Amino acid sequence: MAAPLLTIELDPGPFQPLAALEGWHSQLRTRLDGLPAAESSFVGRVRPHTSAGQPLAALELEHYPGMTETQLQHLAAAAASAPEVAAVLVRHRIGRVLPGDPIVLVAVAADRRGPAQRCCQELLEALKHEAPFWKREWLADGSGHWLGGNTPL
Amino acid sequence: MGHTPELRVLLFAALRERAGWRERQLAATRGATPTTVWGQLGLEPADPAATIRVAINQRFARWDSPLAGGDELAFLPPISGG
Repeated sequence: MAAPLLTIELDPGPFQPLAALEGWHSQLRTRLDGLPAAESSFVGRVRPHTSAGQPLAALELEHYPGMTETQLQHLAAAAASAPEVAAVLVRHRIGRVLPGDPIVLVAVAADRRGPAQRCCQELLEALKHEAPFWKREWLADGSGHWLGGNTPL
Repeated sequence: MGHTPELRVLLFAALRERAGWRERQLAATRGATPTTVWGQLGLEPADPAATIRVAINQRFARWDSPLAGGDELAFLPPISGG
């Protein structure tokens, strides 16, 4: 069984999830024998308000260059350990992200829906807690506040 | 006697802003661990292990992991990705 194809990208500017998926599909058609039968994907977008309920001007995403990419590779490989998983895509924003903009895309292609959905959920949860990213909420008045963790599942 | 490579210490996000610096070079003393470096740099809080994680050479490590000259040590405040 070939190792799953892992595609990990950090995006310093906005990305379109559907275009990202189409680009990934083209890669998979070339590198696999057609597209796998099952695919699960998740898109996370920036909320329009802060954790305290105020209107959000922007979210800033800081990362640890080098470690973040390596850690995402490790997490993707671990989540894709089921033999049915054929490919994993992770796109994650860094920098300043506006309300409503996509911040994360995780997609998993597999031979069956179970491994596709499980791998997608596991990887999303793993990257929220084990990949070094930090969010700062910016308000319209120019003040910023670092978040101390994630929203609950 | 060669030059002993220094430790490179990195801070991120809220930790960096609270401390007012991003990166420091330190002499690697014998027996150094993330715990001893944290104390040596006078970083807050005094008992960081509950909230702050450490990485050595860009991999998660323990607060009592031994450090060697040339290592990159990073202190990581609570992660909020995704």
